[in-house]
Amino acid sequence: MSIKPLLSVRNLETQFRSQHGFVKAVNNISFDLMAGETVAIVGESGSGKSVTSLSLMQLINDPPGKITGGSAVLQSKKFGEVDLLKLPEKQMEKLRGSEISMIFQEPMTSLNPVYTCGRQVMEVLQLHENLSRKEAEARTLALFQQVKLPRPEKMLKAYPHEISGGQKQRVMIAMAMACEPSVLIADEPTTALDVTVQAHILELLNELRERKGTSILFITHDLGVVAEIADRVMVMYKGNIVEQGNVLDIFTNPQHPYTKALLACRPKIITFQPVLPTVSDFMEVLPTGEIVEKPFVKDDSLPGVVNNYIDTMAELKRKQLMQQSTKPLVKVDDLRVHFPIKKNFFGKVKEYVRAVDGVDFEIFPGETVGLVGESGCGKTTLGRTLLRLVEPTSGRIIFNDIDIAGLSQEALRKSRKNFQMVFQDPYASLNPMLTVGETIMEPMKVHNILKNGKERCEKVNELLETVGLTAAHFDRYPHEFSGGQRQRISIARALALSPKCIICDESVSALDVSVQAQVLNLLNKLKREMGITYLFITHDLSVAKYMSDRIFVMNQGRIIESGTPEQIFNQPQNDYTRDLIAAIPKGDVADIRKAQERRKGL
Amino acid sequence: MKTVSFLLKRLAHGLLILLGVVVTVFFLFNVLPGDPVAMLAGQRSDLSTREAITKELGLDKPLPVQLLYYVNDISPLGIHAADSVTQAKYEYTKMLGFPGEKVLAWKTPYLRRSFQSNKNVTDILVDHFPGTLWLAGAAMLIASIVGILFGVFAALKPHSFLDHALISTSILGISVPSFVAAILIAMTFGFYWSHYTGLNLTGQLFEIDPFEGRQLELKNLILPAFALGIRPLAIITQLTRSSMVDVLSQDYIRTAKAKGLSKRSIIQKHALKNALNPVITAVSGWLASLMAGAFFIEYIFNWKGLGSVTLRAVENLDFPVVMGATLFIAFLFILINILVDLLYTVLDPRVKLS
Repeated sequence: MSIKPLLSVRNLETQFRSQHGFVKAVNNISFDLMAGETVAIVGESGSGKSVTSLSLMQLINDPPGKITGGSAVLQSKKFGEVDLLKLPEKQMEKLRGSEISMIFQEPMTSLNPVYTCGRQVMEVLQLHENLSRKEAEARTLALFQQVKLPRPEKMLKAYPHEISGGQKQRVMIAMAMACEPSVLIADEPTTALDVTVQAHILELLNELRERKGTSILFITHDLGVVAEIADRVMVMYKGNIVEQGNVLDIFTNPQHPYTKALLACRPKIITFQPVLPTVSDFMEVLPTGEIVEKPFVKDDSLPGVVNNYIDTMAELKRKQLMQQSTKPLVKVDDLRVHFPIKKNFFGKVKEYVRAVDGVDFEIFPGETVGLVGESGCGKTTLGRTLLRLVEPTSGRIIFNDIDIAGLSQEALRKSRKNFQMVFQDPYASLNPMLTVGETIMEPMKVHNILKNGKERCEKVNELLETVGLTAAHFDRYPHEFSGGQRQRISIARALALSPKCIICDESVSALDVSVQAQVLNLLNKLKREMGITYLFITHDLSVAKYMSDRIFVMNQGRIIESGTPEQIFNQPQNDYTRDLIAAIPKGDVADIRKAQERRKGL
Repeated sequence: MKTVSFLLKRLAHGLLILLGVVVTVFFLFNVLPGDPVAMLAGQRSDLSTREAITKELGLDKPLPVQLLYYVNDISPLGIHAADSVTQAKYEYTKMLGFPGEKVLAWKTPYLRRSFQSNKNVTDILVDHFPGTLWLAGAAMLIASIVGILFGVFAALKPHSFLDHALISTSILGISVPSFVAAILIAMTFGFYWSHYTGLNLTGQLFEIDPFEGRQLELKNLILPAFALGIRPLAIITQLTRSSMVDVLSQDYIRTAKAKGLSKRSIIQKHALKNALNPVITAVSGWLASLMAGAFFIEYIFNWKGLGSVTLRAVENLDFPVVMGATLFIAFLFILINILVDLLYTVLDPRVKLS
């Protein structure tokens, strides 16, 4: 090729010091980024994708991290051809924010809370382009208009906590684009955002790239997002690039088993699989570190599905009708939860947030109800109110003919054993001071289930095996487990009381796709074997569709639409539901092809 | 508007606190053993002298009535006799006349006169407060500036030699009792090495010069302020360090680096302002308690301040002085706290007044 790549990375190696010596987070990777091109790095947590991007910016914290080898040659406007990995700090400071800039995953915490959004963007301009305050302000205003922030003049003066997550990410993009960098590194820029917001941000990035010719290094765990934005894809696994190629090739003809696994383990919107495949179905990692592909045993064609499981569509329908003819397990009647936000001088409440604003529904025994909606729609509050972890303002929650909303504290405590909850963050929802065994045993002690400690221990071991752990894990502490394992422990804890209903509040949102598939499979297995009823709260419509018998769509404290997943997806009645569905990145091959052709035409 | 409503609310709270202080001190004083009249009259006094003193001090009335009278005296708005002697005593401005020679009047709070010296308590406080204010202010100024600097340096390279050195020294600073530190400092710099340092073992803020009268002697402040500042300095160092370490690991610091800011401006502009909140809480708490007087330091350096006055008054059962000083200190606490709450909102836009 005659054209030199804008950024050429060769044999990059980054290590982290740990108790067991050095660990290679990034192991000898090489790739090129051409001018105007978007390259996506895809991988799960721990794959080294973020470390790669931080290494290029020399933003690895030393200690414990250290770049131990390789080169990353950038065609710089200021300094000509430079190796980013060996550039002295003073020159690096001149490149950062002006020629290479970065957008981070967490817009909530990536802006400094004590300065206005305007000032933080102006700072970059004043630093790199020597603009006066006035000029910088004018440029910032123009940038805010480009990134389509509403009321840009007001945004200049707004503090980060006063604006939404999507708006914060727009401010971050404005900041990163301020000096028109040649390389933009976007590290999971949409992961923390709602799908509709994600769609807008991706659209914005595409637009900026096309207008300014910026090269983008896009880091994500979500292959669906990759399809929307990338020209080329690199798949990373444990610090190595296992496959790279044109986005269309990766989607239509993946070579590496890990890529195949990643593509397969996301719940699909179009096809239906009773059990999700996981990474271990596709490959095996030998003790030597070598990856071996397994012949894919599970037949995922439709006839295979029918043969393996009886849950065909018609069967499901029939089961559903049967369920709904029985008495509902939970009946919620005009439930409202209002939080005071403004009080007058004497403490009288003047204004409320209506988190849950008049909700009625029924859940039948043995069904899974998916509750979907974007952040702030009230779905979590609703879930917690069912357990009265949040006190309802008014309304009734009837469970087995008893109104939970009216119970005394003691009666409520006793009734809680019927309802359990699995929370979102497996890292924060287990007490770090209790062993796994103690954690699972505690609810049994509280509710006096089983006669003595010995019986309870046996039960705990049984539960551990049910959720795919072993009795040997009894005396271990939560920090020794991975996120997926911790979520299994949370599920075992919830199961300890043999509850009739489990409320899963975003229980798989913090997990990698392959781990997510395992946990979803576990939940479904428990449902089949124990007949547990789930209220499955999630922002992820594809997960909701996969899990649920019925779906409730929630917006601004109300359930605006409900129905079977097929009804919701095929004939959405409400505009909001339609927008939600449209915003899901689908990884559709036809769409990728269309996008690529359009880009070529430019 | 919000600020005004906040201030009104806090001042109302403050008044309640002051009332609580009055009631508590009043009853504590009356359950304590000892008789102020006997202290005042001396051992050989006869019964009639004692009765006369008791009557003069108003101690012959039932306790609730005494309390009510005191509250009436310190309240800016009170009911007093309409005669000219009372008017001269309280220097009140008449607002409303009542039948029975009484008036509703506006005045500066009257803290009564010392049992012992018969001096006006307000005058005693005014006389001694500047010493305390200067001492506490200087001590906290040293402690804050040096403490924050030390803390920042320690945080920049956690677990480095400098960090360990600063933190272990600060542990020493916290654990040495202030009177030990004060004696060591006074003896070393004010006595053995006084010809190098030019500092005195003891001395006042205002010295009376035979020729030029009252003179401000700032150098006399150095040693006591340093001795008093050691403990807050050590605590501020540790707080700043831990808060700074925490802030430096935040995502927005990474953002600031990614913008291309230099390390120096990241620390100065982005990190420090975020790290200061817990430090301000500590500084204000210390400032308020140092205002209450630092008895040991005042004693060792023979410094004229509120601490020594209050202590002497307690010894002599000099009720008006103890009450006056306590109320004044409580008032300072309330004032400092309100100011600090306002300061938080300036430093951190997320903090809302409520």
